[in-house]
Amino acid sequence: MSFCLDTYLQQSDNYEIHASRAGFKDCAMIIRFKADEVVYIKPGDQVLGVRVIGIPPIPIGIDEKKGTVFIPYTKPCHGTSVVELPIDEEEIDNIRKLNTQ
Amino acid sequence: MKALVLLGCPETPSQTPLSIYATHKLTQMGYDVTIAANPAAKKLVMVSDPENHYINKMADLEKLLGEINEGDYDLLLGFVHKDAAASFFVTFYHLLNTKSIALVFERDMDLVEEYTNMVAENTDATVVSVRAFHNPTPIKVRLDKVLKELE
Repeated sequence: MSFCLDTYLQQSDNYEIHASRAGFKDCAMIIRFKADEVVYIKPGDQVLGVRVIGIPPIPIGIDEKKGTVFIPYTKPCHGTSVVELPIDEEEIDNIRKLNTQ
Repeated sequence: MKALVLLGCPETPSQTPLSIYATHKLTQMGYDVTIAANPAAKKLVMVSDPENHYINKMADLEKLLGEINEGDYDLLLGFVHKDAAASFFVTFYHLLNTKSIALVFERDMDLVEEYTNMVAENTDATVVSVRAFHNPTPIKVRLDKVLKELE
């Protein structure tokens, strides 16, 4: 699946920003606090076809009931945000396979 | 030998001159140097070296992130002066798995310590830390020292 998060956030409205312009550690804490299930991945592992930036272990939150994923999203000048966006079941399984813990 | 110079947000005044200086030094050492930066940081470097006397290759940071693989570069040199820059450096370090140097600088000593710890605890990179913002000299002195150790 080819996916550009920047483009998605510009062209969609079915996502939620839980934190923005924050430090990575704060965003990691928010994901652990908000998500029912947390999978820990390595820096550079791909979620939705995008390499995730961060400090290991990088938490990825999963809300299976809502069908959403919480990911940290880092930009050089804007720090890290926590974005919750829809995801299909197959992608949730792909994320679970990346779990390092 | 190929080196990747990783730039962060261009808000800090020392980054652009030091990126050109570091590229010059690494080129003299025999490295084929690529600077990876976001569009704003790239423009600052390009305007500073209009005839490419020092800069040879530039890459878009996020595009490169999606493309790089282990073995693509022999040296990673990263400018770490924000939380996001530390995250980018650690991520590139894990993807490239190569010899790496982090230049950590900030005007606030607490942040210097915080970013230094973020990099040191999550990589085996050589971490050079100094309190600096407008004046590039303290960073340049430490960069010279760490590059000399590479020779």
